[in-house]
Amino acid sequence: MQRRRIAERPDWRDYAESVGFDYHTIDGEPYWIDDAYYQFSWTQIEDQLESATSELHAMAMELVPEVLRSDELLAKLQIPTAYWDYLANSWQRQQPSLYGRMDLSYDGRLPPKLLELNYDTPTSLFEAGFFQWMWLEQQFEAGLLPEATDQFNSIQEKLIWAFGGMKLPRPLHFSCVDQSSEDRGNVNYLMDCAAQAGLATRFVATESIGEAGGQFVDDDGAPIKALFKLYPWEFMLQEDFAPVLLTSPTQFIEPPWKLLLSNKGILPLLWQRHPGHPNLLECQFDDGSAPLPPGWARKPIYSREGANVELRDLAGNRSAEDGPYNDGGFVRQRLNPLPVFTDAGSGKQVHALVGSWVIGGEAAGIGLREDDSPITRNTSRFVPHVILD
Amino acid sequence: MSQHPRKRSRSAHLILMVPATTLLVAGCSDNTVPAVVYRDVAECTQQHPELAAQCQIDYNQARQQHAQVAPRYMSRAECEADFGYNQCEVAPYQHSGGSYFMPLMMGYLAAQMFNRPQPMIVTGGVADSIRGANGYVPAQPLYRARDDDTFRTANNEPVARRSGNVSVNPDSVRSLENGHITRSGGFGGTAARMSGSGS
Repeated sequence: MQRRRIAERPDWRDYAESVGFDYHTIDGEPYWIDDAYYQFSWTQIEDQLESATSELHAMAMELVPEVLRSDELLAKLQIPTAYWDYLANSWQRQQPSLYGRMDLSYDGRLPPKLLELNYDTPTSLFEAGFFQWMWLEQQFEAGLLPEATDQFNSIQEKLIWAFGGMKLPRPLHFSCVDQSSEDRGNVNYLMDCAAQAGLATRFVATESIGEAGGQFVDDDGAPIKALFKLYPWEFMLQEDFAPVLLTSPTQFIEPPWKLLLSNKGILPLLWQRHPGHPNLLECQFDDGSAPLPPGWARKPIYSREGANVELRDLAGNRSAEDGPYNDGGFVRQRLNPLPVFTDAGSGKQVHALVGSWVIGGEAAGIGLREDDSPITRNTSRFVPHVILD
Repeated sequence: MSQHPRKRSRSAHLILMVPATTLLVAGCSDNTVPAVVYRDVAECTQQHPELAAQCQIDYNQARQQHAQVAPRYMSRAECEADFGYNQCEVAPYQHSGGSYFMPLMMGYLAAQMFNRPQPMIVTGGVADSIRGANGYVPAQPLYRARDDDTFRTANNEPVARRSGNVSVNPDSVRSLENGHITRSGGFGGTAARMSGSGS
Protein backbone atom coordinates (compact mmCIF):
# COMPACT_ATOMS: atom_id res chain seq x y z
CA MET A 1 0.00 0.00 0.00
CA GLN A 2 1.64 3.17 -1.22
CA ARG A 3 0.58 6.71 -1.95
CA ARG A 4 1.70 7.87 -5.36
CA ARG A 5 1.49 11.03 -7.41
CA ILE A 6 0.14 11.21 -10.95
CA ALA A 7 -0.62 14.04 -13.37
CA GLU A 8 -4.16 15.22 -12.82
CA ARG A 9 -6.60 14.89 -15.71
CA PRO A 10 -6.91 18.11 -17.65
CA ASP A 11 -10.40 19.60 -17.23
CA TRP A 12 -11.43 17.04 -14.61
CA ARG A 13 -13.35 19.73 -12.73
CA ASP A 14 -15.47 20.51 -15.77
CA TYR A 15 -16.04 16.84 -16.29
CA ALA A 16 -16.98 16.39 -12.63
CA GLU A 17 -19.52 19.19 -12.86
CA SER A 18 -20.94 17.78 -16.10
CA VAL A 19 -21.87 14.58 -14.28
CA GLY A 20 -23.33 16.37 -11.28
CA PHE A 21 -20.28 16.04 -9.00
CA ASP A 22 -20.37 19.69 -8.02
CA TYR A 23 -19.03 19.00 -4.53
CA HIS A 24 -15.54 18.07 -5.78
CA THR A 25 -14.42 21.16 -3.88
CA ILE A 26 -16.07 22.00 -0.56
CA ASP A 27 -15.75 25.50 0.91
CA GLY A 28 -12.73 26.17 -1.31
CA GLU A 29 -10.93 23.04 -0.10
CA PRO A 30 -10.38 20.07 -2.40
CA TYR A 31 -12.62 17.09 -1.69
CA TRP A 32 -11.72 14.98 -4.72
CA ILE A 33 -7.96 14.42 -5.21
CA ASP A 34 -7.10 13.85 -8.86
CA ASP A 35 -3.30 13.94 -8.74
CA ALA A 36 -2.59 11.12 -6.31
CA TYR A 37 -3.70 7.56 -5.72
CA TYR A 38 -3.17 4.66 -3.36
CA GLN A 39 -1.67 1.54 -4.84
CA PHE A 40 -2.50 -1.87 -3.36
CA SER A 41 -1.14 -5.30 -4.20
CA TRP A 42 -3.47 -8.12 -5.21
CA THR A 43 -2.71 -9.87 -1.95
CA GLN A 44 -3.68 -6.81 0.05
CA ILE A 45 -6.97 -6.48 -1.80
CA GLU A 46 -8.03 -10.11 -2.04
CA ASP A 47 -6.51 -11.73 1.03
CA GLN A 48 -6.91 -8.86 3.44
CA LEU A 49 -9.48 -6.22 2.50
CA GLU A 50 -11.99 -8.26 0.54
CA SER A 51 -11.98 -11.27 2.82
CA ALA A 52 -12.11 -9.14 5.98
CA THR A 53 -15.08 -7.24 4.55
CA SER A 54 -16.99 -10.44 3.79
CA GLU A 55 -16.26 -11.92 7.18
CA LEU A 56 -17.10 -8.79 9.16
CA HIS A 57 -20.33 -8.40 7.22
CA ALA A 58 -21.33 -11.98 7.99
CA MET A 59 -20.54 -11.50 11.68
CA ALA A 60 -22.62 -8.32 11.78
CA MET A 61 -25.58 -9.94 10.02
CA GLU A 62 -25.51 -12.84 12.51
CA LEU A 63 -26.05 -10.33 15.29
CA VAL A 64 -29.29 -8.92 13.88
CA PRO A 65 -31.68 -11.73 14.86
CA GLU A 66 -29.92 -12.13 18.19
CA VAL A 67 -30.40 -8.47 19.09
CA LEU A 68 -34.00 -8.47 17.85
CA ARG A 69 -34.79 -11.37 20.19
CA SER A 70 -33.29 -9.67 23.24
CA ASP A 71 -35.02 -6.84 25.09
CA GLU A 72 -31.79 -6.28 26.98
CA LEU A 73 -29.73 -5.76 23.84
CA LEU A 74 -32.36 -3.56 22.18
CA ALA A 75 -32.32 -1.37 25.27
CA LYS A 76 -28.53 -1.35 25.31
CA LEU A 77 -28.54 -0.05 21.72
CA GLN A 78 -31.07 2.62 22.75
CA ILE A 79 -33.71 1.55 20.26
CA PRO A 80 -36.99 3.26 21.23
CA THR A 81 -39.31 0.64 22.72
CA ALA A 82 -42.25 1.66 20.55
CA TYR A 83 -40.37 0.48 17.44
CA TRP A 84 -38.95 -2.85 18.60
CA ASP A 85 -41.68 -4.78 16.80
CA TYR A 86 -41.37 -2.56 13.77
CA LEU A 87 -37.70 -3.43 13.41
CA ALA A 88 -38.33 -7.10 14.08
CA ASN A 89 -41.08 -7.24 11.46
CA SER A 90 -38.85 -5.72 8.83
CA TRP A 91 -36.30 -8.47 9.51
CA GLN A 92 -38.87 -11.27 9.55
CA ARG A 93 -40.20 -10.09 6.21
CA GLN A 94 -36.65 -10.17 4.91
CA GLN A 95 -36.84 -6.61 3.68
CA PRO A 96 -33.68 -6.33 1.63
CA SER A 97 -30.71 -4.12 2.28
CA LEU A 98 -29.02 -2.39 -0.62
CA TYR A 99 -25.69 -1.34 0.77
CA GLY A 100 -23.38 -0.41 3.58
CA ARG A 101 -19.85 0.79 4.09
CA MET A 102 -17.46 -0.31 6.80
CA ASP A 103 -14.54 1.84 7.79
CA LEU A 104 -11.29 0.00 8.21
CA SER A 105 -7.96 0.99 9.66
CA TYR A 106 -5.42 -0.70 7.39
CA ASP A 107 -1.74 -0.06 6.80
CA GLY A 108 -1.08 -2.63 4.09
CA ARG A 109 0.55 -5.10 6.46
CA LEU A 110 -1.48 -6.04 9.52
CA PRO A 111 -5.07 -7.32 9.19
CA PRO A 112 -7.59 -4.52 8.61
CA LYS A 113 -9.38 -3.47 11.79
CA LEU A 114 -13.04 -2.52 11.83
CA LEU A 115 -13.54 1.02 13.13
CA GLU A 116 -17.26 1.20 12.49
CA LEU A 117 -20.13 0.19 10.26
CA ASN A 118 -21.89 2.90 8.26
CA TYR A 119 -24.78 0.68 7.41
CA ASP A 120 -27.76 3.03 7.20
CA THR A 121 -26.84 6.19 5.30
CA PRO A 122 -23.36 5.69 3.86
CA THR A 123 -22.19 8.30 1.35
CA SER A 124 -19.22 8.86 -0.99
CA LEU A 125 -20.83 6.24 -3.19
CA PHE A 126 -20.75 8.21 -6.44
CA GLU A 127 -17.11 9.09 -5.86
CA ALA A 128 -16.21 5.45 -5.22
CA GLY A 129 -18.47 3.70 -7.72
CA PHE A 130 -18.37 6.03 -10.69
CA PHE A 131 -15.88 8.87 -10.51
CA GLN A 132 -13.02 6.73 -9.23
CA TRP A 133 -13.73 4.19 -11.98
CA MET A 134 -13.72 6.91 -14.61
CA TRP A 135 -10.50 8.35 -13.19
CA LEU A 136 -8.75 5.02 -13.84
CA GLU A 137 -10.28 4.70 -17.31
CA GLN A 138 -9.09 8.16 -18.27
CA GLN A 139 -5.64 7.62 -16.79
CA PHE A 140 -5.44 4.52 -19.02
CA GLU A 141 -6.38 6.67 -21.99
CA ALA A 142 -3.72 9.18 -21.01
CA GLY A 143 -1.19 6.36 -20.93
CA LEU A 144 -0.23 7.08 -17.33
CA LEU A 145 -1.06 3.67 -15.88
CA PRO A 146 -0.17 0.24 -17.27
CA GLU A 147 -2.87 -1.98 -18.74
CA ALA A 148 -2.47 -4.53 -15.96
CA THR A 149 -3.77 -2.00 -13.45
CA ASP A 150 -7.11 -2.79 -11.85
CA GLN A 151 -9.29 -1.32 -9.13
CA PHE A 152 -11.31 -2.95 -6.34
CA ASN A 153 -14.53 -1.40 -7.51
CA SER A 154 -17.47 -3.30 -8.93
CA ILE A 155 -19.72 -0.96 -6.96
CA GLN A 156 -21.83 0.29 -9.85
CA GLU A 157 -22.19 -3.15 -11.39
CA LYS A 158 -23.33 -4.56 -8.05
CA LEU A 159 -25.71 -1.67 -7.38
CA ILE A 160 -27.50 -2.31 -10.66
CA TRP A 161 -27.54 -6.03 -9.98
CA ALA A 162 -28.84 -5.51 -6.43
CA PHE A 163 -31.60 -3.12 -7.52
CA GLY A 164 -32.60 -5.55 -10.25
CA GLY A 165 -32.97 -8.38 -7.75
CA MET A 166 -35.06 -6.55 -5.19
CA LYS A 167 -38.73 -7.32 -5.01
CA LEU A 168 -40.10 -3.83 -4.50
CA PRO A 169 -43.41 -2.14 -5.07
CA ARG A 170 -43.12 0.44 -7.85
CA PRO A 171 -42.21 3.14 -8.37
CA LEU A 172 -39.26 3.42 -6.06
CA HIS A 173 -39.09 6.87 -4.50
CA PHE A 174 -35.75 8.36 -3.49
CA SER A 175 -35.30 11.08 -0.94
CA CYS A 176 -32.71 13.14 0.82
CA VAL A 177 -32.75 16.53 2.45
CA ASP A 178 -33.17 19.37 0.04
CA GLN A 179 -30.10 21.47 0.75
CA SER A 180 -27.17 19.05 0.63
CA SER A 181 -25.54 18.79 -2.78
CA GLU A 182 -23.44 15.87 -1.58
CA ASP A 183 -26.47 13.90 -0.44
CA ARG A 184 -28.26 14.81 -3.64
CA GLY A 185 -25.29 13.63 -5.71
CA ASN A 186 -25.39 10.27 -3.96
CA VAL A 187 -29.14 9.94 -4.41
CA ASN A 188 -28.99 10.94 -8.07
CA TYR A 189 -26.40 8.27 -8.61
CA LEU A 190 -28.53 5.64 -6.91
CA MET A 191 -31.53 6.69 -8.99
CA ASP A 192 -29.42 6.35 -12.08
CA CYS A 193 -28.35 2.84 -11.13
CA ALA A 194 -31.95 1.90 -10.27
CA ALA A 195 -33.12 3.21 -13.65
CA GLN A 196 -30.42 1.16 -15.34
CA ALA A 197 -31.84 -1.85 -13.51
CA GLY A 198 -35.22 -1.07 -15.05
CA LEU A 199 -36.95 0.45 -12.01
CA ALA A 200 -39.23 3.44 -12.31
CA THR A 201 -37.85 6.07 -9.95
CA ARG A 202 -39.08 9.33 -8.45
CA PHE A 203 -37.52 11.91 -6.19
CA VAL A 204 -39.14 13.54 -3.21
CA ALA A 205 -37.26 15.79 -0.82
CA THR A 206 -37.34 14.39 2.68
CA GLU A 207 -39.00 17.61 3.84
CA SER A 208 -41.71 17.23 1.22
CA ILE A 209 -42.86 13.78 2.21
CA GLY A 210 -46.45 14.00 3.32
CA GLU A 211 -48.97 11.83 5.06
CA ALA A 212 -52.49 11.03 3.97
CA GLY A 213 -54.70 8.61 5.84
CA GLY A 214 -51.78 7.03 7.65
CA GLN A 215 -49.76 6.55 4.48
CA PHE A 216 -46.69 8.41 3.28
CA VAL A 217 -47.28 10.35 0.07
CA ASP A 218 -45.04 12.36 -2.24
CA ASP A 219 -45.52 16.01 -3.13
CA ASP A 220 -48.08 15.01 -5.75
CA GLY A 221 -50.06 13.13 -3.16
CA ALA A 222 -49.12 9.78 -4.70
CA PRO A 223 -48.53 7.00 -2.20
CA ILE A 224 -44.91 6.22 -1.42
CA LYS A 225 -44.81 2.46 -1.58
CA ALA A 226 -41.08 2.03 -1.55
CA LEU A 227 -38.61 4.65 -0.42
CA PHE A 228 -34.87 4.90 -0.52
CA LYS A 229 -34.13 7.45 2.20
CA LEU A 230 -30.75 8.99 2.74
CA TYR A 231 -31.82 9.99 6.21
CA PRO A 232 -30.87 8.21 9.43
CA TRP A 233 -33.37 5.90 11.05
CA GLU A 234 -32.54 7.23 14.48
CA PHE A 235 -33.67 10.69 13.34
CA MET A 236 -36.83 9.35 11.75
CA LEU A 237 -37.85 7.54 14.93
CA GLN A 238 -37.67 10.80 16.88
CA GLU A 239 -39.54 13.06 14.53
CA ASP A 240 -43.21 14.01 14.16
CA PHE A 241 -43.90 11.47 11.45
CA ALA A 242 -42.51 8.54 13.39
CA PRO A 243 -45.93 7.08 14.25
CA VAL A 244 -46.86 7.04 10.56
CA LEU A 245 -44.15 4.42 10.10
CA LEU A 246 -46.37 2.00 11.99
CA THR A 247 -49.33 2.47 9.65
CA SER A 248 -47.83 3.23 6.24
CA PRO A 249 -47.14 0.16 4.11
CA THR A 250 -44.03 1.85 2.75
CA GLN A 251 -41.02 -0.43 2.29
CA PHE A 252 -37.76 1.32 3.11
CA ILE A 253 -34.23 1.08 1.84
CA GLU A 254 -32.27 0.77 4.02
CA PRO A 255 -34.80 -1.30 5.99
CA PRO A 256 -35.56 -0.51 9.65
CA TRP A 257 -33.44 -3.40 10.98
CA LYS A 258 -30.36 -1.64 9.61
CA LEU A 259 -30.68 0.75 12.55
CA LEU A 260 -29.10 -1.99 14.67
CA LEU A 261 -25.99 -2.25 12.52
CA SER A 262 -25.42 1.48 12.03
CA ASN A 263 -25.35 1.79 15.79
CA LYS A 264 -21.88 1.83 17.35
CA GLY A 265 -23.20 -0.33 20.17
CA ILE A 266 -22.79 -3.16 17.69
CA LEU A 267 -19.00 -2.88 18.09
CA PRO A 268 -18.79 -4.11 21.71
CA LEU A 269 -21.33 -6.83 20.88
CA LEU A 270 -19.14 -8.04 18.03
CA TRP A 271 -16.10 -8.07 20.32
CA GLN A 272 -17.99 -10.00 23.04
CA ARG A 273 -18.92 -12.69 20.53
CA HIS A 274 -15.59 -12.83 18.72
CA PRO A 275 -12.98 -11.73 21.27
CA GLY A 276 -9.53 -11.47 19.75
CA HIS A 277 -10.78 -11.65 16.16
CA PRO A 278 -8.00 -10.28 13.94
CA ASN A 279 -10.31 -7.76 12.25
CA LEU A 280 -11.88 -6.44 15.45
CA LEU A 281 -10.67 -3.97 18.04
CA GLU A 282 -11.42 -4.48 21.70
CA CYS A 283 -14.53 -2.49 22.50
CA GLN A 284 -16.78 -1.81 25.50
CA PHE A 285 -19.86 0.19 26.33
CA ASP A 286 -18.90 3.41 28.11
CA ASP A 287 -21.02 5.95 29.96
CA GLY A 288 -18.68 8.82 29.08
CA SER A 289 -18.11 9.83 32.69
CA ALA A 290 -14.46 8.82 33.20
CA PRO A 291 -11.54 10.47 31.41
CA LEU A 292 -10.42 8.47 28.41
CA PRO A 293 -7.30 6.42 29.16
CA PRO A 294 -4.35 6.51 26.72
CA GLY A 295 -4.67 4.17 23.73
CA TRP A 296 -8.45 4.35 23.43
CA ALA A 297 -11.06 6.04 21.26
CA ARG A 298 -14.50 7.05 22.49
CA LYS A 299 -17.46 7.44 20.12
CA PRO A 300 -21.13 8.14 20.76
CA ILE A 301 -23.48 5.22 20.04
CA TYR A 302 -25.18 7.44 17.48
CA SER A 303 -22.87 9.76 15.61
CA ARG A 304 -21.93 10.56 12.07
CA GLU A 305 -18.95 11.89 10.19
CA GLY A 306 -16.57 11.85 13.12
CA ALA A 307 -18.69 14.10 15.32
CA ASN A 308 -18.05 13.83 19.08
CA VAL A 309 -15.29 11.28 18.57
CA GLU A 310 -12.42 11.52 21.05
CA LEU A 311 -9.03 9.81 20.70
CA ARG A 312 -6.14 9.48 23.15
CA ASP A 313 -2.93 8.04 21.81
CA LEU A 314 -0.49 5.98 23.86
CA ALA A 315 1.50 9.10 24.72
CA GLY A 316 -1.68 10.58 26.16
CA ASN A 317 -2.23 13.18 23.40
CA ARG A 318 -5.90 13.86 22.95
CA SER A 319 -7.74 14.78 19.74
CA ALA A 320 -11.45 15.34 19.54
CA GLU A 321 -14.15 16.46 17.16
CA ASP A 322 -16.99 18.56 18.44
CA GLY A 323 -20.50 17.79 17.43
CA PRO A 324 -24.12 17.48 18.39
CA TYR A 325 -24.11 13.82 19.43
CA ASN A 326 -23.39 14.05 23.12
CA ASP A 327 -26.55 12.96 24.83
CA GLY A 328 -26.56 9.21 24.21
CA GLY A 329 -24.22 6.52 25.46
CA PHE A 330 -20.74 5.84 24.18
CA VAL A 331 -18.50 3.01 23.20
CA ARG A 332 -14.82 2.85 24.00
CA GLN A 333 -12.66 1.18 21.38
CA ARG A 334 -8.96 0.28 21.48
CA LEU A 335 -7.16 2.86 19.39
CA ASN A 336 -5.70 1.63 16.13
CA PRO A 337 -4.33 4.82 14.61
CA LEU A 338 -4.83 5.29 10.88
CA PRO A 339 -1.65 4.83 8.83
CA VAL A 340 0.17 8.02 7.94
CA PHE A 341 1.41 8.70 4.41
CA THR A 342 3.43 11.56 3.02
CA ASP A 343 2.23 13.57 0.07
CA ALA A 344 5.22 13.49 -2.26
CA GLY A 345 4.46 16.95 -3.60
CA SER A 346 3.95 18.98 -0.45
CA GLY A 347 5.67 16.74 2.07
CA LYS A 348 2.48 16.95 4.13
CA GLN A 349 1.44 14.00 6.30
CA VAL A 350 -2.00 12.52 5.81
CA HIS A 351 -4.05 9.92 7.67
CA ALA A 352 -5.77 7.40 5.39
CA LEU A 353 -8.96 5.42 5.99
CA VAL A 354 -10.33 2.58 3.86
CA GLY A 355 -14.09 2.60 3.32
CA SER A 356 -15.12 -0.87 2.17
CA TRP A 357 -18.49 -1.27 0.47
CA VAL A 358 -20.92 -4.14 0.82
CA ILE A 359 -23.60 -4.17 -1.86
CA GLY A 360 -26.37 -6.75 -2.02
CA GLY A 361 -24.47 -8.64 0.68
CA GLU A 362 -21.19 -8.82 -1.23
CA ALA A 363 -17.87 -7.04 -0.82
CA ALA A 364 -17.92 -4.62 -3.75
CA GLY A 365 -14.97 -2.27 -3.55
CA ILE A 366 -13.25 0.45 -1.62
CA GLY A 367 -12.83 4.20 -1.45
CA LEU A 368 -10.07 5.98 0.45
CA ARG A 369 -10.46 9.11 2.50
CA GLU A 370 -7.57 11.07 3.91
CA ASP A 371 -7.31 13.89 6.38
CA ASP A 372 -4.69 16.00 8.09
CA SER A 373 -6.35 14.98 11.36
CA PRO A 374 -6.37 11.41 12.74
CA ILE A 375 -10.18 11.58 12.81
CA THR A 376 -11.91 11.15 9.46
CA ARG A 377 -14.61 13.76 8.92
CA ASN A 378 -17.14 14.64 6.26
CA THR A 379 -14.62 16.99 4.66
CA SER A 380 -11.90 14.33 4.47
CA ARG A 381 -10.56 14.10 0.93
CA PHE A 382 -11.42 11.25 -1.40
CA VAL A 383 -8.42 9.70 -3.15
CA PRO A 384 -8.69 7.07 -5.91
CA HIS A 385 -6.86 3.75 -5.71
CA VAL A 386 -5.49 1.06 -7.99
CA ILE A 387 -4.44 -2.57 -7.72
CA LEU A 388 -1.05 -3.26 -9.27
CA ASP A 389 1.57 -5.77 -8.23
CA MET B 1 -1.29 -9.67 -17.82
CA SER B 2 -2.67 -10.51 -14.45
CA GLN B 3 -4.25 -13.88 -13.78
CA HIS B 4 -6.60 -12.33 -11.25
CA PRO B 5 -10.28 -11.94 -12.00
CA ARG B 6 -11.10 -8.37 -12.89
CA LYS B 7 -12.16 -6.46 -9.81
CA ARG B 8 -13.74 -3.41 -11.32
CA SER B 9 -17.05 -2.90 -13.07
CA ARG B 10 -16.95 -3.85 -16.74
CA SER B 11 -18.57 -0.57 -17.61
CA ALA B 12 -19.96 2.41 -15.81
CA HIS B 13 -22.20 4.86 -17.55
CA LEU B 14 -24.95 7.17 -16.43
CA ILE B 15 -28.34 7.61 -18.03
CA LEU B 16 -30.12 10.13 -15.86
CA MET B 17 -27.43 12.27 -14.29
CA VAL B 18 -25.83 13.16 -17.59
CA PRO B 19 -28.90 14.50 -19.38
CA ALA B 20 -29.87 16.52 -16.34
CA THR B 21 -26.52 18.22 -16.25
CA THR B 22 -26.35 18.76 -19.97
CA LEU B 23 -29.48 20.79 -19.81
CA LEU B 24 -28.18 22.72 -16.88
CA VAL B 25 -24.99 23.54 -18.74
CA ALA B 26 -26.83 24.48 -21.89
CA GLY B 27 -29.48 26.29 -19.94
CA CYS B 28 -28.93 29.85 -21.05
CA SER B 29 -27.73 29.44 -24.61
CA ASP B 30 -29.62 30.46 -27.72
CA ASN B 31 -27.93 27.76 -29.73
CA THR B 32 -29.79 25.03 -31.40
CA VAL B 33 -28.23 21.64 -31.81
CA PRO B 34 -28.81 18.97 -34.42
CA ALA B 35 -30.86 15.96 -33.40
CA VAL B 36 -33.01 13.28 -34.98
CA VAL B 37 -36.54 12.11 -34.42
CA TYR B 38 -37.09 8.37 -34.81
CA ARG B 39 -40.42 6.63 -34.59
CA ASP B 40 -38.76 3.48 -33.25
CA VAL B 41 -35.52 1.52 -33.13
CA ALA B 42 -36.21 -0.06 -36.51
CA GLU B 43 -36.26 3.30 -38.21
CA CYS B 44 -32.92 4.19 -36.65
CA THR B 45 -31.36 0.84 -37.47
CA GLN B 46 -32.55 1.07 -41.07
CA GLN B 47 -30.70 4.34 -41.47
CA HIS B 48 -27.61 3.25 -39.54
CA PRO B 49 -27.32 -0.53 -39.76
CA GLU B 50 -23.74 -0.36 -38.51
CA LEU B 51 -24.85 1.55 -35.41
CA ALA B 52 -27.71 -0.67 -34.36
CA ALA B 53 -26.31 -0.93 -30.86
CA GLN B 54 -26.33 2.84 -30.43
CA CYS B 55 -29.89 2.98 -31.78
CA GLN B 56 -30.90 0.55 -29.06
CA ILE B 57 -29.04 2.48 -26.35
CA ASP B 58 -30.79 5.73 -27.30
CA TYR B 59 -34.14 4.02 -27.47
CA ASN B 60 -33.65 2.36 -24.08
CA GLN B 61 -32.71 5.67 -22.57
CA ALA B 62 -35.87 7.24 -23.98
CA ARG B 63 -37.98 4.36 -22.67
CA GLN B 64 -36.46 4.79 -19.23
CA GLN B 65 -37.31 8.46 -19.31
CA HIS B 66 -40.80 7.71 -20.58
CA ALA B 67 -41.84 5.96 -17.38
CA GLN B 68 -40.58 8.92 -15.42
CA VAL B 69 -41.55 11.93 -17.43
CA ALA B 70 -44.67 11.11 -19.43
CA PRO B 71 -47.61 13.39 -18.63
CA ARG B 72 -49.63 11.67 -15.98
CA TYR B 73 -53.39 11.44 -15.70
CA MET B 74 -55.71 10.30 -12.96
CA SER B 75 -57.85 8.27 -15.35
CA ARG B 76 -57.70 6.65 -18.74
CA ALA B 77 -60.57 8.86 -19.93
CA GLU B 78 -58.69 12.03 -19.12
CA CYS B 79 -55.60 10.75 -20.88
CA GLU B 80 -57.51 9.62 -23.94
CA ALA B 81 -59.25 12.98 -24.13
CA ASP B 82 -55.83 14.45 -24.87
CA PHE B 83 -54.17 11.64 -26.76
CA GLY B 84 -56.96 9.68 -28.38
CA TYR B 85 -58.64 6.33 -28.01
CA ASN B 86 -56.26 3.49 -27.18
CA GLN B 87 -53.32 5.87 -27.11
CA CYS B 88 -52.74 5.62 -23.37
CA GLU B 89 -51.26 3.03 -21.08
CA VAL B 90 -51.19 2.34 -17.38
CA ALA B 91 -48.34 4.26 -15.74
CA PRO B 92 -46.04 2.33 -13.40
CA TYR B 93 -47.25 4.16 -10.32
CA GLN B 94 -50.51 4.67 -8.52
CA HIS B 95 -52.59 7.25 -6.77
CA SER B 96 -54.86 6.41 -3.87
CA GLY B 97 -57.77 5.61 -6.20
CA GLY B 98 -55.90 3.41 -8.66
CA SER B 99 -53.33 3.65 -11.41
CA TYR B 100 -52.20 6.73 -13.21
CA PHE B 101 -52.33 6.72 -16.99
CA MET B 102 -49.84 8.11 -19.47
CA PRO B 103 -49.76 8.46 -23.25
CA LEU B 104 -47.88 5.92 -25.35
CA MET B 105 -44.38 6.90 -26.41
CA MET B 106 -44.75 7.63 -30.13
CA GLY B 107 -41.11 8.22 -30.97
CA TYR B 108 -37.89 9.46 -29.52
CA LEU B 109 -35.40 12.22 -29.92
CA ALA B 110 -31.69 11.40 -30.13
CA ALA B 111 -28.48 13.15 -31.02
CA GLN B 112 -27.43 12.83 -34.66
CA MET B 113 -25.15 9.88 -35.11
CA PHE B 114 -22.47 11.82 -36.97
CA ASN B 115 -22.66 14.94 -34.92
CA ARG B 116 -21.59 13.43 -31.68
CA PRO B 117 -18.38 14.84 -30.33
CA GLN B 118 -17.17 11.51 -28.97
CA PRO B 119 -16.99 8.04 -30.44
CA MET B 120 -20.42 6.65 -29.79
CA ILE B 121 -19.78 3.18 -28.55
CA VAL B 122 -16.78 2.59 -26.42
CA THR B 123 -16.10 -0.42 -24.30
CA GLY B 124 -16.49 0.67 -20.76
CA GLY B 125 -19.01 3.32 -21.57
CA VAL B 126 -16.60 6.21 -21.27
CA ALA B 127 -17.91 8.15 -24.21
CA ASP B 128 -21.43 7.48 -23.14
CA SER B 129 -20.74 9.23 -19.89
CA ILE B 130 -18.68 12.09 -21.16
CA ARG B 131 -20.86 13.08 -24.01
CA GLY B 132 -23.33 14.96 -21.89
CA ALA B 133 -20.69 17.56 -21.23
CA ASN B 134 -20.64 18.57 -24.84
CA GLY B 135 -24.07 20.08 -24.99
CA TYR B 136 -26.25 18.01 -27.21
CA VAL B 137 -29.62 16.58 -26.53
CA PRO B 138 -30.05 13.43 -24.51
CA ALA B 139 -32.31 10.74 -25.93
CA GLN B 140 -35.84 11.20 -24.70
CA PRO B 141 -39.40 10.17 -25.45
CA LEU B 142 -41.76 12.02 -27.78
CA TYR B 143 -45.54 12.10 -27.80
CA ARG B 144 -48.33 12.97 -30.22
CA ALA B 145 -51.57 14.43 -28.98
CA ARG B 146 -54.97 13.77 -30.56
CA ASP B 147 -55.69 16.06 -33.52
CA ASP B 148 -52.05 17.16 -33.53
CA ASP B 149 -49.55 15.70 -35.98
CA THR B 150 -46.58 17.15 -34.11
CA PHE B 151 -44.07 15.16 -32.06
CA ARG B 152 -43.75 16.87 -28.72
CA THR B 153 -41.52 16.38 -25.71
CA ALA B 154 -42.90 15.45 -22.31
CA ASN B 155 -42.94 19.16 -21.64
CA ASN B 156 -45.22 19.80 -24.61
CA GLU B 157 -42.47 21.43 -26.67
CA PRO B 158 -43.04 20.84 -30.38
CA VAL B 159 -40.09 19.11 -32.05
CA ALA B 160 -41.11 18.04 -35.54
CA ARG B 161 -44.03 16.92 -37.67
CA ARG B 162 -42.28 13.86 -38.99
CA SER B 163 -39.31 11.73 -38.19
CA GLY B 164 -35.90 12.82 -39.45
CA ASN B 165 -33.32 15.50 -38.76
CA VAL B 166 -34.29 18.46 -36.61
CA SER B 167 -32.66 21.34 -34.80
CA VAL B 168 -33.70 21.81 -31.23
CA ASN B 169 -32.90 24.30 -28.57
CA PRO B 170 -31.50 22.45 -25.58
CA ASP B 171 -33.29 24.96 -23.33
CA SER B 172 -36.60 23.72 -24.50
CA VAL B 173 -35.80 20.10 -23.82
CA ARG B 174 -36.50 19.79 -20.20
CA SER B 175 -34.94 17.36 -17.78
CA LEU B 176 -37.36 15.62 -15.50
CA GLU B 177 -34.77 14.26 -13.20
CA ASN B 178 -36.81 15.31 -10.19
CA GLY B 179 -39.99 13.61 -11.28
CA HIS B 180 -41.42 17.07 -11.81
CA ILE B 181 -44.88 16.04 -12.80
CA THR B 182 -48.30 17.54 -12.51
CA ARG B 183 -51.09 15.49 -11.11
CA SER B 184 -53.02 15.64 -14.30
CA GLY B 185 -50.86 17.57 -16.71
CA GLY B 186 -49.26 17.13 -20.06
CA PHE B 187 -50.15 17.79 -23.63
CA GLY B 188 -53.18 18.95 -25.43
CA GLY B 189 -55.89 21.27 -24.26
CA THR B 190 -56.42 19.97 -20.76
CA ALA B 191 -52.76 19.79 -19.94
CA ALA B 192 -51.98 23.17 -21.46
CA ARG B 193 -54.63 24.86 -19.35
CA MET B 194 -53.44 23.23 -16.20
CA SER B 195 -49.72 23.72 -16.59
CA GLY B 196 -49.77 26.99 -18.45
CA SER B 197 -47.21 25.66 -20.85
CA GLY B 198 -49.01 25.11 -24.13
CA SER B 199 -48.44 26.90 -27.39
